[in-house]
Amino acid sequence: MRITCPYCGPRDVAEFTYLGDGTLRRPDPAAPGAAAAFHDYVYLRDNPAGRHTELWYHAGGCRSWLRAVRDTRTHAFESVALATDSVPSEQAQ
Amino acid sequence: MSHASQAAPLARDADGAGESRPRAGQPARLASGGLVDRTSTLHFTFDGRSLAGHPGDTLASALIANGVRLVGRSFKYHRPRGIFTAGPEEPNALVEIGTGARRTPNTKATTVELFDGLQAVSQNRWPSLRVDALAINQLGGPFLAAGFYYKTFMWPAAFWEKVYEPLIRRAAGLGGASGLPDPDLYEKSHAFCDVLVIGSGPAGLAAALAAGRAGARVILCEDDFALGGKLLAERREIDGRPGAHWARAAEAELAAMPEVTILRRCQVFGTYDDGVYGALERVADHVAAPRPGQPRQRLWRIVARACVNAMGAVERSIAFGGNDRPGVMTASAVRTYVNRFGVAPGRAVAVFTATDDGWRTAADLAAAGIGVAAVIDPRSGVAPALRASVGGARVLTGARVCDVRGGADGVRALEILHDGRRERIVADTLAVSGGWNPQVALATHKGAKPRWSEALQSFVPDAMPQGMRVAGAANGEMTLAACLAAGAARGEEAAAACGFTAAPAPAPRADDEPCGLVALWHVAESRSKAFVDLQNDVTAADVDLAHREGFRSVEHLKRYTTLGMATDQGKTSNVLGHAMMAALTAGGTDTVDMGRVGTTMARPPHLPVAIGAFAGHHRGKHFKPTRLSAAQVWAEGAGATFVETGLWLRAQWYPRPGETDWLASVSREVRTVREAVGFCDVSTLGKIDIQGADAGAFLDRVYVNTVSTLPVGKARYGLMLREDGFALDDGTTARLGPEHYLMSTTTANAARVMQHLEFCHQVLWPDLDVAMVSVTEQWSQFSVAGPRARDVMARLFGASDVSDASLPYMGCRATRLGGAPARVFRLSFSGELAYEIAVPARFGAALAEALAEAVAAHGGCPYGTEALGVMRIEKGHVAGNELNGQTTGRDLGLGRMMSKKKDYVGRVMAERPALVAPERPSLVGVRPVDPSQRLRAGSHFLRLGAEASVGNDEGYLTSVAFSPSLGGWIGLGFLASGPDRLGERIRAYDPVRGGDVVVEVVSPVFIDPEGSRLHG
Amino acid sequence: MADLAPRAAFAGLLHASAPPEGGIPGLVVSARPERQLAIAIARKGKRAELAQRLRQATGLALPEGPHRTTAGRMTALGTGPRSWLVMEEGGEPGLADRLAEALSPLAAVSDQSDGYAVLRLTGAHVRDVLAKGIALDLHPRAFGPGSAAVTNCAHLGVTLWQIDEAPTFELAVFRSYAGSLAHWLGESAAEFGLGVAAE
Repeated sequence: MRITCPYCGPRDVAEFTYLGDGTLRRPDPAAPGAAAAFHDYVYLRDNPAGRHTELWYHAGGCRSWLRAVRDTRTHAFESVALATDSVPSEQAQ
Repeated sequence: MSHASQAAPLARDADGAGESRPRAGQPARLASGGLVDRTSTLHFTFDGRSLAGHPGDTLASALIANGVRLVGRSFKYHRPRGIFTAGPEEPNALVEIGTGARRTPNTKATTVELFDGLQAVSQNRWPSLRVDALAINQLGGPFLAAGFYYKTFMWPAAFWEKVYEPLIRRAAGLGGASGLPDPDLYEKSHAFCDVLVIGSGPAGLAAALAAGRAGARVILCEDDFALGGKLLAERREIDGRPGAHWARAAEAELAAMPEVTILRRCQVFGTYDDGVYGALERVADHVAAPRPGQPRQRLWRIVARACVNAMGAVERSIAFGGNDRPGVMTASAVRTYVNRFGVAPGRAVAVFTATDDGWRTAADLAAAGIGVAAVIDPRSGVAPALRASVGGARVLTGARVCDVRGGADGVRALEILHDGRRERIVADTLAVSGGWNPQVALATHKGAKPRWSEALQSFVPDAMPQGMRVAGAANGEMTLAACLAAGAARGEEAAAACGFTAAPAPAPRADDEPCGLVALWHVAESRSKAFVDLQNDVTAADVDLAHREGFRSVEHLKRYTTLGMATDQGKTSNVLGHAMMAALTAGGTDTVDMGRVGTTMARPPHLPVAIGAFAGHHRGKHFKPTRLSAAQVWAEGAGATFVETGLWLRAQWYPRPGETDWLASVSREVRTVREAVGFCDVSTLGKIDIQGADAGAFLDRVYVNTVSTLPVGKARYGLMLREDGFALDDGTTARLGPEHYLMSTTTANAARVMQHLEFCHQVLWPDLDVAMVSVTEQWSQFSVAGPRARDVMARLFGASDVSDASLPYMGCRATRLGGAPARVFRLSFSGELAYEIAVPARFGAALAEALAEAVAAHGGCPYGTEALGVMRIEKGHVAGNELNGQTTGRDLGLGRMMSKKKDYVGRVMAERPALVAPERPSLVGVRPVDPSQRLRAGSHFLRLGAEASVGNDEGYLTSVAFSPSLGGWIGLGFLASGPDRLGERIRAYDPVRGGDVVVEVVSPVFIDPEGSRLHG
Repeated sequence: MADLAPRAAFAGLLHASAPPEGGIPGLVVSARPERQLAIAIARKGKRAELAQRLRQATGLALPEGPHRTTAGRMTALGTGPRSWLVMEEGGEPGLADRLAEALSPLAAVSDQSDGYAVLRLTGAHVRDVLAKGIALDLHPRAFGPGSAAVTNCAHLGVTLWQIDEAPTFELAVFRSYAGSLAHWLGESAAEFGLGVAAE
């Protein structure tokens, strides 16, 4: 698999580490129900067959966190952006 | 990278008929013909017999030239076997090549390029190839049918390991590994191209020429040592000249193109995502030993924007009685041995063909002057042109071969079913043509299903992996003209897809040949064993049994009978077996729907690849990189013993003459530090430089405690959590300037912490103005600890610099030392008065040497990680054993550090009720009640008298040490409600190593709980 | 105390091997121990100002993307969206301090002169050798003297850049990995012969 890093260009997947769901937003720790919200944020994950927004880290390159949209069935990447440049959007259901 | 042509001279005119006159020493070598260099002789041995061949031979062709027909025994029944094919699909002729450490088992004789001095040995026979004791297995045939092992060796269960498995392993199996370290080098390499062409037959060469002429960067991979594929084995013409001549011209043109790379002896074995292909180049398998420095094999990872798959097709057999006898070969193999290698596989060769293609073998045999015993075709009508092509040989249409008669020497006669009668025909060789299977593996590795072709009676690729095009026989385009046209077209398209176009050139011209066929899978009238999978000894009866017992899906058939599971992966057998199952499933009706039956899933590697090739240079101590601190060279000189910590090698202790074991050295080092002074290389700890207007705010969010209130010139211990509330890492952070911090991490977690900080910054809080970078490698850092530490510092820096007022506890300062920039910190892990000194790494070795002198002058010594570990346990400082991913700040006794005034990563989750419950195991110290007893890390805590059960488990011991200061073993661990149980006696129970020690629960701080030593 | 003696990262680690068939080694390597290196990271929102200031202070154009610019003895490599590796061959010591002062408060600067060990590689087979460790397309159509890359080489993190079309490349690796890199280089270059040149 190859990932096109927005900074470095196309690179082998071995340079990257995977984190998971890139649509999650860290909950407001001061809001009511923060404990439940953090539980969901830390533990609950969808496992979609198809389009998936996910976080990757270019550990072997520019050290950027990336937000990528990938099809989990084909491994085809639709887009890869720097996490700092892209705002997490709710996953299309 | 292109190499000069290795092809042997073309000694034979395509239309020049040879003769079958034997040559001295090589009785089956034709007098002329073939692409071998007859001017040169190569000597080799097979089972100790000295034989000769020529450059351009394979081991298989040379064995045939020498009249060797029996080359091995089969896997299960130990039946005599010969050479069945002329290529990498070979199921039978597996031999051991080489001797000693270079012995390689299970090598296909059909792919081994002959070299002078080659030593080959047959496999799977005892005591000898000719007389094999276990050949008795074939008499007991029914007992070894499909599922035999599953059904028979079921019970008693204890028998499996002790009796059945060793017995089966001795009886079955193929060649043996040498058991010695591999003396050769293997390596990996990366290649990039616009167009990857797989296979150099007519389609592949045409594709490579088209893409190369357009200016694309082309890599052409050919598994064989010579380019040309089928063109080397056929008497066909292209553009009016012999096919092999055309191939040689094409090769020369490609070799002259600067952007074309030709990789010979290189098999593409896998298709991966995004245009990545795996290939294995056999760099030096065709010589006795690689040159110095030369790898034996090279694993290529090829990234191609486009690919033309021209892998070709494999001829399949037909299941009939005795179809495994030495002398039964695929028809195309027989033709290959005659045309390419100039050898005669037999003197009276019968051809059993369900295809028009098989008739060409008879024609080529006749043209070479080899006797054709008969041509047997199940079809009733055969074109007159085919009949005319075989030079007057006997032709039997509407006929089938039922059984082959013969022994270890191979075929002696055939039983033919003809006009409803059995007839015996004398022949010494049988060429079989059951049809052609396009090589669909590389097109289906990514999961696409191949499509059944009625016309071809085989599977052809359907949906293609991204960027791949398929051309020629691999796509079911079976005639030479079609291969050339498809190759040129796919090559042009592939280049165009990469942005390279050239004026279209006419495709090379060739005549179309007849390629009709009829489906014939199994001759049901056979009376003897009819083999489907030769390598795994799967018979027609096994397929029938699998059907009767309900294993009818092709994937079930595979697992139940082992069809296609051998090292050849069923290249000659899978489609045959699947079609037979389809026919059985259809219940004798004509509606066999092979498209629905399908075929088994192909996965990489398409051909076997040695594990050594995947390892490359990363073997032995180079399995992973080694990180060495700048002071390594000094520590080696000082006689240190080293330990791996992550990738780092660290000095573990420094033994001295007279010290009998490690404990003596470590205890001496601890005592020296506690009583005088010592120094330790701490360069491996992670160091992260953090700057920016929001650096302090950022640190407050990643540490449980507050860092932003730290004055410039001071350092503070910090703990960071993961978002789930468990501890991630700890260390000190120093404030070097108003917007400048230096964080230290543990050695093990340095990379993980850096990634975590980048995540916090880039993903969670990108608005913060903070910049961070690892400076671990820039600085060489040493701890100087002990009551005389200040004396040592004074000796290095001068008295004024290191007074308590100038550098108080937890103070830090930039300075200079020995002409170099330096940083000094007043930090202590040992509990003693201690400093850390950092200098740029180029000065690390020199500083270590200076420190060794300075501490020695004050009665001190260097100490290693083991003494460091003892001292931190004596002080109750947590380390990797305690920061094990399952402990919280409270568990570690650091609950008071966890700020209530701010948010930080992990705060919310750390407050979960179960994580703050008082009965949760928390950090305590333990000491054996009997001071002579030793402790072992990993022991579990039990109440005295409680049964040793999981339900009674109260925690575990994480770190233990012999404390020279206290004269006994001490430990740290996590005990339920631990801090409330000081003084209680409990058991430290270690069932794995038989330990059961009564210990007293004590404070984790064993030494100097007031901390008076820190301040000297 | 007496001055501390510096020790080069590749001291004693590079071993020449003869080309198996005689002639010129296919790879010639030299260490660059006198190279000064510093990492500069743009402070938030200061990138444009930083480019201007860097040009005034050093003459270097701030590379956009993974590229290389030069000005006299100075070189800048793009190593990340906000980070650059700035190098000086020879010159007065204290590159990082000088840069920190010149670029304050637009960039965070840290000295890496001892953090990285730098090799210069050239020879007829330099690309063949590099391909054994580096999964990057180094063909002239894809990578040239203006290019730079942070990547892996045989599992080691490296920064690679090309300095001329001979071709000559330079490779920086974290200092502690110098021994592992030298081992890989020695084995990978052995089939072509490895020459070790003075700096």
